[in-house]
Amino acid sequence: MKSLLIAVKDAKIHLKDRKAILMMILMPILLTAILGSALKGVMGGGSMPETVLGVYSPESNAMTENIIQTLEAEGLAITVERAGTEKQLMDWMEKKEVHVGLVLPEGWGVDTDRAVIIPIIGQESSSLIIQQMIETFAQMSQTIEHATKTVMTEAAVMSANGAEIDMATIQYELAESVEKVVNEQKIYVIEPAKEESVSSMQYYAAAMAAMFLLFNAMVGAKSFHQERKTETLSRLMMTPTSGHSILAGKFIGTFLFAWVQFLFFMGATHYLLQVDWGSSNLQVFFITFFYSFAVAGLSMIVAAFTTDEKMADVVGSMGVQVLALLGGSMLPLAVFPEALRKIAMLTPNSWALTSFTSIMTGTDWSALWLPAIVLFGVGILSIFISSFRLRAV
Amino acid sequence: MLTLSNVKKSFDSREIIKGVSLQIERGESFGLLGPNGAGKSTLISMICGLIPYGAGEIRIDGKVVGKQLKEIKQIIGVVPQDIALYPSMSAMDNLLFWGKMYGLSGKAAKIRAQEVLEIVGLADRAKGRIETFSGGMKRRINIGAALMHRPQLLIMDEPTVGIDPQSRNHILETVKSLNEQGMTVIYTSHYMEEVEYLCKRIAIIDEGKLIASGTKKDLSNRLAGGTVLKLTVDSLHPLFIEELKTLNSVEKVIVKPGEEIDVHLHSKMEMVAEVILLASRSGIHIHNMQLQEANLETLFLQLTGRTLRE
Ligand SMILES: Nc1ncnc2c1ncn2[C@@H]1O[C@H](COP(=O)(O)OP(=O)(O)O)[C@@H](O)[C@H]1O
Ligand SMILES: [Mg+2]
Repeated sequence: MKSLLIAVKDAKIHLKDRKAILMMILMPILLTAILGSALKGVMGGGSMPETVLGVYSPESNAMTENIIQTLEAEGLAITVERAGTEKQLMDWMEKKEVHVGLVLPEGWGVDTDRAVIIPIIGQESSSLIIQQMIETFAQMSQTIEHATKTVMTEAAVMSANGAEIDMATIQYELAESVEKVVNEQKIYVIEPAKEESVSSMQYYAAAMAAMFLLFNAMVGAKSFHQERKTETLSRLMMTPTSGHSILAGKFIGTFLFAWVQFLFFMGATHYLLQVDWGSSNLQVFFITFFYSFAVAGLSMIVAAFTTDEKMADVVGSMGVQVLALLGGSMLPLAVFPEALRKIAMLTPNSWALTSFTSIMTGTDWSALWLPAIVLFGVGILSIFISSFRLRAV
Repeated sequence: MLTLSNVKKSFDSREIIKGVSLQIERGESFGLLGPNGAGKSTLISMICGLIPYGAGEIRIDGKVVGKQLKEIKQIIGVVPQDIALYPSMSAMDNLLFWGKMYGLSGKAAKIRAQEVLEIVGLADRAKGRIETFSGGMKRRINIGAALMHRPQLLIMDEPTVGIDPQSRNHILETVKSLNEQGMTVIYTSHYMEEVEYLCKRIAIIDEGKLIASGTKKDLSNRLAGGTVLKLTVDSLHPLFIEELKTLNSVEKVIVKPGEEIDVHLHSKMEMVAEVILLASRSGIHIHNMQLQEANLETLFLQLTGRTLRE
């Protein structure tokens, strides 16, 4: 009960602080608007990136024409420009007239040399999609080839035995092998595509929410030091309230303000920037609950391991920026190399961010349990570690 | 009401409180006078259970501080040395918050906050943010916050530091009337006038030790030569000095450069005439004469060789 009094008091104080409002509430909305529209080119304004693909293929055969058609036709917002010579393609790339270069070597086919994909810096995500497309295409060709072979072999064996050609068996085997490939294809194409299918505005709404909620770790810690400096903490200790209740109050205060901040941000991005947060607000709030919990825990850590407001400010804002950068809040996670993506998983904000984006495109509850558990773990661990140091207030 | 027996406290093996014993009765107003760094705030922190004491025992209402802390905290109200309020919140919101922290219900807190604002004379500024207040007004709300739960024992740690005389007088009068209404008051200060005005019993603390305590009368009786007659004369005649020393009421005579003589007297007025008579008999002209009366400041000076505010 006393904890709640302290928490509400803290949340009120934050709401009265103009600097906090500016930084915690207005800034992320502004940044979402700016980054969301500035990076439309990279991220794709609609659901898919718009990419200009330069292609050079010395040989024009059924395979090459087929792949080019596929690339153009898939509704991927890819425009194909064909270069006459390899040099012309390189020129285009140098001048950045194309985003990605594709060289299909002579005799390119299923079993032969792989296509060479050359992305321009900053267009790595587009090249990733093209690469997937080509590999899918190759697989499809393999399937067709395999199916043909199966039919031929089956037919040959049967006719050699003098038996009638069993169309049912052939059909069955064909269906099976095609199904296998189609299933694989689903995993291969649809799943990564899901990640990409948020708009840049959606992505940055999720990213800024994840980043700016993180600032509560700093704000919460600062409020703790402030209370220590102004001796309101001593005064709190003089009231018939236990030290644990006071700490809990500070924790809940940070948690509450993170909620206020998020709800405001979600409303503003929804109504002002037309950001679609997905069909399940409940899922969004579920993740926000655990993320706020983690952030409130981190505020205890910052409070415990800094000595005053200034230090909390420096450590906090530096920490937020590093975490934001690593966790995909500044640059989209999709452009990260594999190793960095693994590192991103160590940041709580990336868990919140990826959960938000997957909720935006529609996801199962089952997919949200892991992020929730991770975020909850971060919170609990933070409380546990900081409790050793904060006990002696 | 409050008993301290041989209380000690060390920080980092440096002894800050060196065995303090005190007894304060219900309804009393008790002054704790001492220079900066004497250990007043440390003593108060121990009394209200904020920091544990190293040795000895503190009891409030018979309850040992440290064991039945919750009940004790409910009895006492502490006015901290610093303004322990939330600057961006209004006076009213601050009072409500602190009242509720002592378990007042929302409604009771509202009624009490209005009363408290009347007591400290800021009823018209209830909605004003603390950060917009003057130093004196902040101090008054700082006191008000300690009154919300109607404490039986009010402990004030230098509540008038750095404010205008008007606010200071208001505070002193407020405290006096609270005490007259039955509240036990411990008033800490390094201004002897405040303690002299407010308190019947006084303890003087220096470097963690009580160097004197008792009623105002007890203390002034302890003063030897507390009243000083400062003379500036035209010439320092050795014989005159010798004769001065033989006078009954004179404790000691100190000759200072610039033809100045400090005559320390046991008692005052009646002996001043004697000194003047002696001077005229010796043919010495007194240019200037000043009588410095005995007070706690002089007592402190006498006991420690230092002034209260150096
Ligand atoms: N937490 C602490 N750690 C170390 N020394 C302290 C601490 N608190 C007070 N002191 C020291 O104890 C002495 C008394 O301080 P304090 O009680 O604040 O004096 P006063 O209130 O009479 O001015 C000072 O020398 C101060 O430096
Ligand atoms: Mg002090």
